[in-house]
Amino acid sequence: MNRADFIIYWGGNPADCHPRHFTKYTLTPKGKHVPMGRKGRTMVLVDVRETPSVRAADIFLQVRPGKDFEVITTLRALVKNQPVDQARVAETGLTLAQLQDLVGRMKNARFGVIFFGMGLSMTRGKHMNSAAVLALVAELNAFTKFVCMPMRGHGNVTGADVVMRWTTGFPFGVNLCRGYPRFNPGEFSTVDLLVRGDNDAALILGADPGATMPQPAIDHLARIPTIVLDPKVTRTSRLARVHITTAAMGISAPGTVYRMDEIPLPLRPILQSPYPTDEVVIRRIHEQVKAKPAWLPASFKKVPCA
Amino acid sequence: MITLTLKEQPRVPLEAEAISPDVMAKLRHDEIRAVPMFLGKRQRRLDDFFEVEGEASEDLEIRGDVGKVKWIGRGMTRGRIRVAGNAGMHLGAYMKGGTIDVSGNAADWVGGEMSGGLIRIGGNAGGQVGAAYRGSLTGMQGGTILIEGSAGLEVGMRMKRGIIAVKGSVRDFPGLQMKGGTIILGGAELRTGAWMIRGTILSLRPIPLLPTFAYNCNYNPSFLRLYAKHLQIQGFSIPHEEGDGAYLLYSGDAAVSQKGEILIWQPRASS
Amino acid sequence: MLRITGGRVYDPANGIHGEVKDVCISDGRIVAEVEGTGVRTIDASGMVVFPGGVDVHTHVAGAALNFARAMTPENQREAVKFIHSPELRAGIGGITPTTFATGYLYAGLGYTTVNEAAVPILSARHTHEELRDTPIVDKSCCVLMANNELVLDLLEEGETERAKQVVAWLIWAAKGYGVKAVNPGGVAAWKWGKDAKILSEPVEGYSKVTPAKIIASLAAIVNDLQLPHPLHIHCNNLGAPGNISTTLETMKLLEGYRAHMAHLQFHAYGGDGWNSLRSEAATLAEYFNAHPNLTADAGAILFGNSVTITADGPWQHLLYQLTGHKWGNLDVENETGCGIVPYVYKGSNLVNAVQWAVGLELLLLINDPWRIFLTTDHPNGACFWRYPEIIHLLMDVDFRRERVRKLPAKALKRIVLGDLDREYTLSEIAVITSAGPARALGLSRKGHLGPGADADVAIYNENPDRELMFRYPRYVLKGGQVVVEEGAIRKVVDGREFIVHPSFDENIEEYLRPLFEQYYTMSFDNYPVEMHRVEGADIRECG
Repeated sequence: MNRADFIIYWGGNPADCHPRHFTKYTLTPKGKHVPMGRKGRTMVLVDVRETPSVRAADIFLQVRPGKDFEVITTLRALVKNQPVDQARVAETGLTLAQLQDLVGRMKNARFGVIFFGMGLSMTRGKHMNSAAVLALVAELNAFTKFVCMPMRGHGNVTGADVVMRWTTGFPFGVNLCRGYPRFNPGEFSTVDLLVRGDNDAALILGADPGATMPQPAIDHLARIPTIVLDPKVTRTSRLARVHITTAAMGISAPGTVYRMDEIPLPLRPILQSPYPTDEVVIRRIHEQVKAKPAWLPASFKKVPCA
Repeated sequence: MITLTLKEQPRVPLEAEAISPDVMAKLRHDEIRAVPMFLGKRQRRLDDFFEVEGEASEDLEIRGDVGKVKWIGRGMTRGRIRVAGNAGMHLGAYMKGGTIDVSGNAADWVGGEMSGGLIRIGGNAGGQVGAAYRGSLTGMQGGTILIEGSAGLEVGMRMKRGIIAVKGSVRDFPGLQMKGGTIILGGAELRTGAWMIRGTILSLRPIPLLPTFAYNCNYNPSFLRLYAKHLQIQGFSIPHEEGDGAYLLYSGDAAVSQKGEILIWQPRASS
Repeated sequence: MLRITGGRVYDPANGIHGEVKDVCISDGRIVAEVEGTGVRTIDASGMVVFPGGVDVHTHVAGAALNFARAMTPENQREAVKFIHSPELRAGIGGITPTTFATGYLYAGLGYTTVNEAAVPILSARHTHEELRDTPIVDKSCCVLMANNELVLDLLEEGETERAKQVVAWLIWAAKGYGVKAVNPGGVAAWKWGKDAKILSEPVEGYSKVTPAKIIASLAAIVNDLQLPHPLHIHCNNLGAPGNISTTLETMKLLEGYRAHMAHLQFHAYGGDGWNSLRSEAATLAEYFNAHPNLTADAGAILFGNSVTITADGPWQHLLYQLTGHKWGNLDVENETGCGIVPYVYKGSNLVNAVQWAVGLELLLLINDPWRIFLTTDHPNGACFWRYPEIIHLLMDVDFRRERVRKLPAKALKRIVLGDLDREYTLSEIAVITSAGPARALGLSRKGHLGPGADADVAIYNENPDRELMFRYPRYVLKGGQVVVEEGAIRKVVDGREFIVHPSFDENIEEYLRPLFEQYYTMSFDNYPVEMHRVEGADIRECG
């Protein structure tokens, strides 16, 4: 807000999905070092289709679906003045000239930022698409100041990520079966566990996988004992064995939400709820579980498995 | 020889890094039966899941579908494991020596970060064959992985030395961020050699390339004869005779380096 | 009630240097005597009794460290694991331990108080949440101020008094304990991809504010506010060859004020490039010895894996370019930023060898142990759980020389470590690990075993192998409770947080509120950390 004069949104449609992003954080505000506000900034939107966000953009680059990694990798080469194959660049839906222009603008920016959305991080290439943005931005810092930030999905996903990191050392995809945290996305991440049918129970908090995950995952949730904590009836709660209604976070339950940039904000309830908060329910479950005999043998000290 | 016969499929993954010649070589029959395994969060015994025959041997045979049994042969340095059936994740991960043979399919992370030894998969393999575990800078550092069927994503990710050969096709990102070694593919989907720094990827069928790879020349490298001879013994044939065709040599990935090589076989047009 | 009997007691703050005497504890405090039935006795015969360790400069919680955790799963995989039990939470040790493991590891080492040395105000709420999950040890926070644009803008306009009010308000908003200055002006400049290398030149984006002005102003403000801990300063040009001149210049600016110089090792280099880097520890120590207004911590390095985390963004970008390793950068709007680069210090590397020597040289050449403290700037120079290795090097000259001989021959010409024959005594170790840092932090109930002190006690088996001795305390007591026995955690207690409440004019909020509405993405009312988030707050009123 205060600095960026060059802003790229990649694989996201903030006009619909993060409606306050333009006006509160990025485009419109008159920043401390960008006193002209919107006029002092250039905005580039990269997406596979025209969305309402195009209207807010100075430049719209329409990339073919599934070609983001190719484009970003090409940009990494161009930033370093390395040769690229013009014909293969054209297969991405963008021309070499367009990408060269973009690189020129990126290098000439005073302070650049890339916001990347799920159109990038959840499409073919997934984590490598995000890694590509990170690598590009790191390399641009040899020329000018550049940063990036993921545009995360619904709910307090950043908060979960942050807390997991300080308690287990890893952001997600954590397994505690051996008594200590292990990390391997793809092996331990929820969707993969469910699709393979590797778990025999599920406790779901602050998410609706029944509405978002692939069908085999949903089928598995329906097969096993699934417990859902949610203020509302959801697709997941309908297929769950148990649905505990809880107070809605931020409306009738206090707490902390982490913004996409990992800045924590306090939530102050505005309504009273007859239902307990998620925290109260989890604490009560935890007390009961704790009263049970320890599941790891006392002699268990060996840690052979990374 | 020690024979382990699976009694029934575990409902959740069974972690069984103790199934390794290094562990079993000196154990008596009753000790083998008591070796710990981890079923979900519970610690159990090997004989809860397997019938055991034999003792004190570096030659292990596993019968039954152990597709949900993880970490077989983890870090092994010697001996042999034969799996008559499918094998679960992390087969031969961190392996340093010895041989693993699987008649069926293997799941993800076959030979993850291995540094020596030989793994042969009769069927298909999952993703991350010979790859670096998440965050590690270096994947496979030596040894050989041979796959008769196809394989998944990120084959040979960050590998530094060794050979991976896949007869069938692989999915996206083979040789991702590769630093050395050789990958031989029967074809690939997208992004072969993405961000590779060094090393060689050979494809026996045409594959799409990133814009950051540049065509160099047609080429029949002499080192291939050596590889071909070596792999022929394992039942893998690599075309290399000039009379049969040539390799198109591309170098990249220009996003990070020019020193990686992708060789794509182009048979001589039959007239 | 508890009596520790038969041990040789090292309580240098009270002039006790190894006498066999009893230490008595009642209600979590040290008392002169305990009587009657129900007095438990710990037989410490053949053992030495220290006040619990105090770490004056460490990075154990907050956004930057938490980012480093996410960046280095490969380190976590290799780290010591803490297995879940009815008493202990699961966790991971290693280079960037998880919060619970941090508490267990510090306590396991005999440390009972830690000062988290770099807290951005905007994310202080996060830091406090992590500290709440860091058990056993007591905690305090230094708040990052030397690149805060609210403060810098006021200095630009010469509004020193208002700057003081703002600083005081910010400390209270962050629920901080002290003020930290990191690369004054340099982090603000880094938001434009620049640095601040020369103390007398204006900072990028300002015309009057120089690093020198920031340093002098903050030192004066901290002084005026009568904070218990003086300005805690990380000098400009960290890690750069020839930075000795910047460090000396900074110390000269601080004449007349108390100040704490952080991780001095990283600021004591001569030479004009990586190839000519040499130790200037002797020059630095000479000046430092003559200026009792200063305290410092060593920031020693040890060979092995580390993750460097610092608010010094420009330095971290350079390190990333030098190493080609992973690099993470966080900018915190208007206030500070940080960079994260995993790093391996190698004994065979000339630069690393010199760095290793400089840390030890400073500890040996600075005469007064009450002014130089044992730190590794965890996890930058090495992990805190490796302190016993440094203690061994300090206490045993033969062992140290043997290690020096293993350095590259070229390095030997750039250092003086081989010529130093000083050996630390146990009493001096008690000073640099506990009594000294407690005094520098102004924590009157820490770092000693006199009546009224918190009953934080570390009891070690006397052992000529000093590394082993200090690695595995026989007992550790926190607030009078035995938390560690034979190197294993026996009981997990909660820690407290020390915070200060400097006095300020409430009207300063009327000045700040509109600025927040204009320049911050967080509302003014959401900005201050609520008191209920601070675990066991121990508030000190100042000024």
